[in-house]
Amino acid sequence: MASEQELSAFLKSVEKRAFKRAVFAVRDEDAALDVVQDAMIKLAENYADRPAAELPPLFQRILSNATMDWFRRQKVRGALFRNFSDFEPAGGDEDFDILEVLEAFAGEASAESASDVVSRGQVFALIESQIADLPTRQREAFLLRYWEELDVSETALAMGCSEGSVKTHCSRAVHALAKALNAKGITL
Amino acid sequence: MNATEHSSDHRVTTLESRFGLLVAARLSEGTEQLPHDVNERLRHARQVALAAHRQTASAVHVNAAAAGYSSAATLSFGGSRGKSWWTSLAALVPLAALLVGLGMIEHFHLQEQIAAAAEVDTALLSDDLPPEAYSDPGFVEYLKTSRE
Repeated sequence: MASEQELSAFLKSVEKRAFKRAVFAVRDEDAALDVVQDAMIKLAENYADRPAAELPPLFQRILSNATMDWFRRQKVRGALFRNFSDFEPAGGDEDFDILEVLEAFAGEASAESASDVVSRGQVFALIESQIADLPTRQREAFLLRYWEELDVSETALAMGCSEGSVKTHCSRAVHALAKALNAKGITL
Repeated sequence: MNATEHSSDHRVTTLESRFGLLVAARLSEGTEQLPHDVNERLRHARQVALAAHRQTASAVHVNAAAAGYSSAATLSFGGSRGKSWWTSLAALVPLAALLVGLGMIEHFHLQEQIAAAAEVDTALLSDDLPPEAYSDPGFVEYLKTSRE
Protein backbone atom coordinates (compact mmCIF):
# COMPACT_ATOMS: atom_id res chain seq x y z
CA MET A 1 0.00 0.00 0.00
CA ALA A 2 1.35 3.42 -0.99
CA SER A 3 2.02 5.65 1.99
CA GLU A 4 0.82 9.24 2.08
CA GLN A 5 4.36 10.43 1.37
CA GLU A 6 4.66 8.13 -1.63
CA LEU A 7 1.29 9.23 -2.94
CA SER A 8 2.17 12.89 -2.44
CA ALA A 9 5.51 12.48 -4.20
CA PHE A 10 3.88 10.61 -7.06
CA LEU A 11 1.14 13.21 -7.54
CA LYS A 12 3.68 16.01 -7.41
CA SER A 13 5.80 14.28 -10.04
CA VAL A 14 2.92 13.85 -12.51
CA GLU A 15 0.67 16.82 -11.86
CA LYS A 16 2.13 19.21 -14.43
CA ARG A 17 2.23 16.67 -17.21
CA ALA A 18 -1.25 15.51 -16.25
CA PHE A 19 -2.45 19.10 -16.47
CA LYS A 20 -0.93 19.49 -19.93
CA ARG A 21 -2.41 16.22 -21.11
CA ALA A 22 -5.81 17.37 -19.91
CA VAL A 23 -5.36 20.74 -21.61
CA PHE A 24 -4.50 19.00 -24.87
CA ALA A 25 -7.72 17.03 -24.58
CA VAL A 26 -10.25 19.53 -23.25
CA ARG A 27 -8.53 22.71 -24.53
CA ASP A 28 -9.49 24.71 -21.47
CA GLU A 29 -7.19 25.30 -18.50
CA ASP A 30 -9.89 25.52 -15.83
CA ALA A 31 -11.59 22.38 -17.07
CA ALA A 32 -8.21 20.64 -17.26
CA LEU A 33 -7.48 21.53 -13.64
CA ASP A 34 -10.87 20.11 -12.62
CA VAL A 35 -10.15 16.92 -14.55
CA VAL A 36 -6.74 16.53 -12.90
CA GLN A 37 -8.20 17.13 -9.45
CA ASP A 38 -10.94 14.53 -10.08
CA ALA A 39 -8.33 12.04 -11.21
CA MET A 40 -6.13 12.69 -8.18
CA ILE A 41 -9.05 12.26 -5.77
CA LYS A 42 -10.20 9.06 -7.44
CA LEU A 43 -6.72 7.63 -7.25
CA ALA A 44 -6.38 8.59 -3.59
CA GLU A 45 -9.81 7.27 -2.62
CA ASN A 46 -9.98 4.07 -4.63
CA TYR A 47 -6.46 2.91 -5.33
CA ALA A 48 -4.43 4.09 -2.36
CA ASP A 49 -4.09 0.48 -1.24
CA ARG A 50 -2.09 -0.37 -4.36
CA PRO A 51 1.71 -0.47 -4.26
CA ALA A 52 3.43 2.75 -5.32
CA ALA A 53 4.86 1.06 -8.42
CA GLU A 54 1.36 0.45 -9.80
CA LEU A 55 0.28 4.06 -9.49
CA PRO A 56 1.61 5.52 -12.81
CA PRO A 57 -0.44 3.43 -15.28
CA LEU A 58 -3.44 3.51 -12.92
CA PHE A 59 -3.33 7.28 -12.68
CA GLN A 60 -3.02 7.69 -16.45
CA ARG A 61 -6.03 5.44 -16.93
CA ILE A 62 -8.01 7.37 -14.34
CA LEU A 63 -7.00 10.65 -15.96
CA SER A 64 -8.19 9.40 -19.35
CA ASN A 65 -11.49 8.30 -17.81
CA ALA A 66 -11.87 11.62 -15.98
CA THR A 67 -11.32 13.41 -19.29
CA MET A 68 -13.98 11.26 -20.94
CA ASP A 69 -16.33 11.99 -18.05
CA TRP A 70 -15.75 15.69 -18.62
CA PHE A 71 -16.69 15.32 -22.27
CA ARG A 72 -19.78 13.37 -21.33
CA ARG A 73 -20.78 16.07 -18.88
CA GLN A 74 -20.25 18.71 -21.52
CA LYS A 75 -22.28 16.70 -24.02
CA VAL A 76 -19.68 17.40 -26.63
CA ARG A 77 -18.22 13.97 -26.78
CA GLY A 78 -18.27 14.12 -30.54
CA ALA A 79 -15.57 16.77 -30.37
CA LEU A 80 -13.22 14.21 -28.87
CA PHE A 81 -13.35 12.19 -32.04
CA ARG A 82 -13.57 15.07 -34.45
CA ASN A 83 -10.37 14.15 -36.20
CA PHE A 84 -11.02 11.02 -38.17
CA SER A 85 -7.58 11.07 -39.75
CA ASP A 86 -6.71 8.73 -36.87
CA PHE A 87 -7.97 5.94 -39.07
CA GLU A 88 -6.03 7.02 -42.12
CA PRO A 89 -2.45 6.19 -43.03
CA ALA A 90 0.02 8.71 -41.69
CA GLY A 91 2.01 9.30 -44.84
CA GLY A 92 0.01 11.13 -47.47
CA ASP A 93 2.45 12.47 -50.02
CA GLU A 94 4.90 10.37 -51.93
CA ASP A 95 7.80 12.82 -51.72
CA PHE A 96 7.94 12.86 -47.96
CA ASP A 97 10.64 10.57 -46.54
CA ILE A 98 10.00 10.06 -42.84
CA LEU A 99 13.32 8.31 -42.28
CA GLU A 100 15.21 11.23 -43.70
CA VAL A 101 13.32 13.63 -41.47
CA LEU A 102 13.72 11.50 -38.35
CA GLU A 103 17.43 11.08 -39.02
CA ALA A 104 17.73 14.81 -39.45
CA PHE A 105 16.04 15.38 -36.08
CA ALA A 106 18.28 12.76 -34.47
CA GLY A 107 21.40 14.33 -35.95
CA GLU A 108 20.48 17.79 -34.81
CA ALA A 109 19.71 16.79 -31.28
CA SER A 110 23.28 17.02 -30.12
CA ALA A 111 24.10 19.97 -32.33
CA GLU A 112 23.14 23.59 -31.94
CA SER A 113 19.90 24.34 -30.18
CA ALA A 114 16.96 25.69 -32.10
CA SER A 115 17.00 28.86 -30.04
CA ASP A 116 19.17 30.65 -32.62
CA VAL A 117 16.34 30.37 -35.14
CA VAL A 118 13.21 30.50 -33.02
CA SER A 119 13.11 31.13 -29.31
CA ARG A 120 12.64 28.16 -27.00
CA GLY A 121 9.26 29.44 -25.98
CA GLN A 122 8.12 29.60 -29.56
CA VAL A 123 9.41 26.11 -30.27
CA PHE A 124 7.57 24.84 -27.21
CA ALA A 125 4.39 26.58 -28.32
CA LEU A 126 4.69 25.08 -31.80
CA ILE A 127 5.32 21.60 -30.44
CA GLU A 128 2.35 21.99 -28.10
CA SER A 129 0.19 23.13 -30.95
CA GLN A 130 1.19 20.20 -33.15
CA ILE A 131 0.61 17.74 -30.34
CA ALA A 132 -2.78 19.28 -29.62
CA ASP A 133 -3.67 18.81 -33.28
CA LEU A 134 -2.92 15.09 -33.23
CA PRO A 135 -5.87 12.71 -33.22
CA THR A 136 -6.86 11.89 -29.65
CA ARG A 137 -5.66 8.29 -29.51
CA GLN A 138 -2.38 9.10 -31.23
CA ARG A 139 -1.77 11.96 -28.82
CA GLU A 140 -2.58 9.79 -25.81
CA ALA A 141 -0.29 7.01 -26.98
CA PHE A 142 2.54 9.41 -27.80
CA LEU A 143 2.36 11.26 -24.49
CA LEU A 144 2.06 8.12 -22.39
CA ARG A 145 4.93 6.35 -24.15
CA TYR A 146 7.44 9.16 -24.50
CA TRP A 147 6.42 11.78 -21.95
CA GLU A 148 5.14 9.60 -19.12
CA GLU A 149 7.71 6.99 -20.12
CA LEU A 150 5.34 4.09 -19.69
CA ASP A 151 6.29 0.95 -21.56
CA VAL A 152 4.07 -0.46 -24.31
CA SER A 153 2.13 -2.80 -22.02
CA GLU A 154 1.54 -0.09 -19.40
CA THR A 155 0.40 2.30 -22.11
CA ALA A 156 -1.96 -0.36 -23.47
CA LEU A 157 -3.35 -0.83 -19.96
CA ALA A 158 -3.78 2.90 -19.46
CA MET A 159 -5.46 3.34 -22.84
CA GLY A 160 -7.53 0.18 -22.63
CA CYS A 161 -6.30 -1.16 -25.97
CA SER A 162 -3.87 -3.73 -27.35
CA GLU A 163 -0.11 -3.30 -27.42
CA GLY A 164 -0.22 -3.43 -31.21
CA SER A 165 -2.61 -0.48 -31.25
CA VAL A 166 -0.26 1.46 -28.98
CA LYS A 167 2.65 0.88 -31.37
CA THR A 168 0.56 1.91 -34.35
CA HIS A 169 -0.74 5.06 -32.65
CA CYS A 170 2.76 6.00 -31.49
CA SER A 171 4.29 5.48 -34.88
CA ARG A 172 1.62 7.54 -36.59
CA ALA A 173 1.96 10.29 -34.03
CA VAL A 174 5.73 10.43 -34.49
CA HIS A 175 5.40 10.56 -38.26
CA ALA A 176 2.75 13.28 -38.11
CA LEU A 177 4.79 15.37 -35.65
CA ALA A 178 8.04 14.94 -37.56
CA LYS A 179 6.36 15.96 -40.76
CA ALA A 180 4.65 18.98 -39.21
CA LEU A 181 7.75 20.22 -37.36
CA ASN A 182 9.91 19.68 -40.41
CA ALA A 183 7.46 21.69 -42.50
CA LYS A 184 7.73 24.57 -40.05
CA GLY A 185 11.51 24.39 -39.99
CA ILE A 186 11.65 23.38 -36.33
CA THR A 187 14.65 21.47 -35.09
CA LEU A 188 14.88 19.85 -31.69
CA MET B 1 10.98 -11.39 -42.93
CA ASN B 2 14.62 -11.27 -43.96
CA ALA B 3 17.46 -9.72 -41.99
CA THR B 4 17.51 -6.50 -44.03
CA GLU B 5 13.81 -5.81 -43.40
CA HIS B 6 14.21 -6.61 -39.72
CA SER B 7 17.18 -4.27 -39.48
CA SER B 8 15.24 -1.53 -41.27
CA ASP B 9 12.25 -1.93 -38.93
CA HIS B 10 14.54 -1.78 -35.94
CA ARG B 11 16.15 1.40 -37.28
CA VAL B 12 12.77 3.04 -37.81
CA THR B 13 11.66 2.08 -34.31
CA THR B 14 14.86 3.47 -32.84
CA LEU B 15 14.54 6.72 -34.74
CA GLU B 16 10.89 7.04 -33.75
CA SER B 17 11.73 6.48 -30.10
CA ARG B 18 14.55 8.98 -30.23
CA PHE B 19 12.34 11.59 -31.88
CA GLY B 20 9.58 10.93 -29.37
CA LEU B 21 11.94 11.39 -26.46
CA LEU B 22 13.32 14.60 -27.94
CA VAL B 23 9.85 16.05 -28.32
CA ALA B 24 8.96 14.89 -24.80
CA ALA B 25 12.10 16.57 -23.43
CA ARG B 26 11.09 19.83 -25.08
CA LEU B 27 7.60 19.48 -23.70
CA SER B 28 8.97 18.89 -20.21
CA GLU B 29 11.15 21.98 -20.41
CA GLY B 30 8.17 24.13 -21.34
CA THR B 31 5.84 22.53 -18.83
CA GLU B 32 8.16 23.27 -15.92
CA GLN B 33 7.29 26.94 -16.25
CA LEU B 34 3.55 26.87 -15.72
CA PRO B 35 1.81 30.05 -14.50
CA HIS B 36 1.78 30.55 -10.74
CA ASP B 37 -2.01 30.24 -10.44
CA VAL B 38 -1.95 26.90 -12.25
CA ASN B 39 0.79 25.62 -9.95
CA GLU B 40 -1.24 26.74 -6.94
CA ARG B 41 -4.36 25.01 -8.18
CA LEU B 42 -2.41 21.85 -8.81
CA ARG B 43 -1.00 22.03 -5.29
CA HIS B 44 -4.52 22.52 -3.93
CA ALA B 45 -5.77 19.54 -5.96
CA ARG B 46 -2.95 17.42 -4.56
CA GLN B 47 -3.81 18.44 -1.01
CA VAL B 48 -7.50 17.62 -1.53
CA ALA B 49 -6.51 14.21 -2.87
CA LEU B 50 -4.21 13.58 0.09
CA ALA B 51 -6.99 14.58 2.49
CA ALA B 52 -9.25 12.07 0.75
CA HIS B 53 -6.50 9.48 1.13
CA ARG B 54 -6.23 10.26 4.85
CA GLN B 55 -10.00 9.88 5.27
CA THR B 56 -10.02 6.58 3.43
CA ALA B 57 -7.08 5.32 5.48
CA SER B 58 -8.67 6.38 8.79
CA ALA B 59 -11.96 4.72 7.76
CA VAL B 60 -10.05 1.51 7.12
CA HIS B 61 -8.41 1.81 10.55
CA VAL B 62 -11.77 2.45 12.24
CA ASN B 63 -13.27 -0.60 10.54
CA ALA B 64 -10.29 -2.70 11.53
CA ALA B 65 -10.53 -1.43 15.12
CA ALA B 66 -14.27 -2.13 15.20
CA ALA B 67 -13.65 -5.63 13.93
CA GLY B 68 -11.02 -6.11 16.64
CA TYR B 69 -13.35 -4.81 19.36
CA SER B 70 -16.10 -7.10 18.18
CA SER B 71 -13.76 -10.07 18.25
CA ALA B 72 -12.61 -9.18 21.76
CA ALA B 73 -16.18 -8.83 22.99
CA THR B 74 -17.08 -12.15 21.47
CA LEU B 75 -14.14 -13.84 23.08
CA SER B 76 -15.01 -12.43 26.50
CA PHE B 77 -18.45 -14.05 26.24
CA GLY B 78 -17.00 -17.41 25.36
CA GLY B 79 -16.29 -17.05 21.66
CA SER B 80 -18.53 -17.00 18.66
CA ARG B 81 -20.11 -20.31 19.66
CA GLY B 82 -21.24 -18.88 23.03
CA LYS B 83 -22.60 -15.80 21.33
CA SER B 84 -24.70 -17.82 18.90
CA TRP B 85 -25.97 -20.00 21.76
CA TRP B 86 -27.27 -17.01 23.67
CA THR B 87 -28.71 -15.53 20.52
CA SER B 88 -30.52 -18.77 19.73
CA LEU B 89 -31.81 -18.96 23.28
CA ALA B 90 -33.15 -15.42 23.11
CA ALA B 91 -34.87 -16.24 19.83
CA LEU B 92 -36.56 -19.25 21.49
CA VAL B 93 -38.17 -17.21 24.31
CA PRO B 94 -41.14 -15.90 22.27
CA LEU B 95 -41.72 -19.39 20.84
CA ALA B 96 -41.75 -20.88 24.33
CA ALA B 97 -44.19 -18.20 25.52
CA LEU B 98 -46.48 -19.01 22.61
CA LEU B 99 -46.42 -22.73 23.38
CA VAL B 100 -47.15 -22.12 27.08
CA GLY B 101 -50.07 -19.84 26.13
CA LEU B 102 -51.54 -22.43 23.76
CA GLY B 103 -51.19 -25.12 26.44
CA MET B 104 -53.02 -22.96 28.97
CA ILE B 105 -55.84 -22.23 26.52
CA GLU B 106 -56.17 -25.94 25.75
CA HIS B 107 -56.25 -26.78 29.48
CA PHE B 108 -58.88 -24.13 30.20
CA HIS B 109 -61.03 -25.34 27.31
CA LEU B 110 -60.81 -28.95 28.51
CA GLN B 111 -61.78 -27.95 32.04
CA GLU B 112 -64.83 -26.15 30.69
CA GLN B 113 -65.88 -29.22 28.67
CA ILE B 114 -65.47 -31.44 31.73
CA ALA B 115 -67.50 -29.05 33.87
CA ALA B 116 -70.29 -28.91 31.26
CA ALA B 117 -70.39 -32.71 30.95
CA ALA B 118 -70.42 -33.07 34.72
CA GLU B 119 -73.31 -30.66 34.94
CA VAL B 120 -75.34 -32.67 32.41
CA ASP B 121 -74.47 -35.93 34.15
CA THR B 122 -75.47 -34.52 37.51
CA ALA B 123 -78.79 -33.32 36.13
CA LEU B 124 -79.50 -36.73 34.60
CA LEU B 125 -78.51 -38.67 37.67
CA SER B 126 -80.39 -36.46 40.08
CA ASP B 127 -83.61 -36.57 38.01
CA ASP B 128 -86.52 -38.95 38.99
CA LEU B 129 -86.48 -40.41 35.54
CA PRO B 130 -83.84 -43.14 35.10
CA PRO B 131 -81.29 -42.46 32.33
CA GLU B 132 -82.21 -45.72 30.61
CA ALA B 133 -85.61 -44.21 29.79
CA TYR B 134 -83.97 -41.96 27.18
CA SER B 135 -82.88 -45.01 25.23
CA ASP B 136 -86.44 -46.32 25.05
CA PRO B 137 -88.00 -45.51 21.60
CA GLY B 138 -91.49 -45.28 23.02
CA PHE B 139 -90.50 -42.74 25.63
CA VAL B 140 -88.61 -40.67 23.01
CA GLU B 141 -91.73 -40.69 20.81
CA TYR B 142 -93.78 -39.62 23.80
CA LEU B 143 -91.45 -36.72 24.42
CA LYS B 144 -91.70 -35.60 20.79
CA THR B 145 -95.50 -35.70 20.66
CA SER B 146 -95.89 -34.03 24.05
CA ARG B 147 -93.64 -31.15 22.85
CA GLU B 148 -95.81 -30.67 19.78
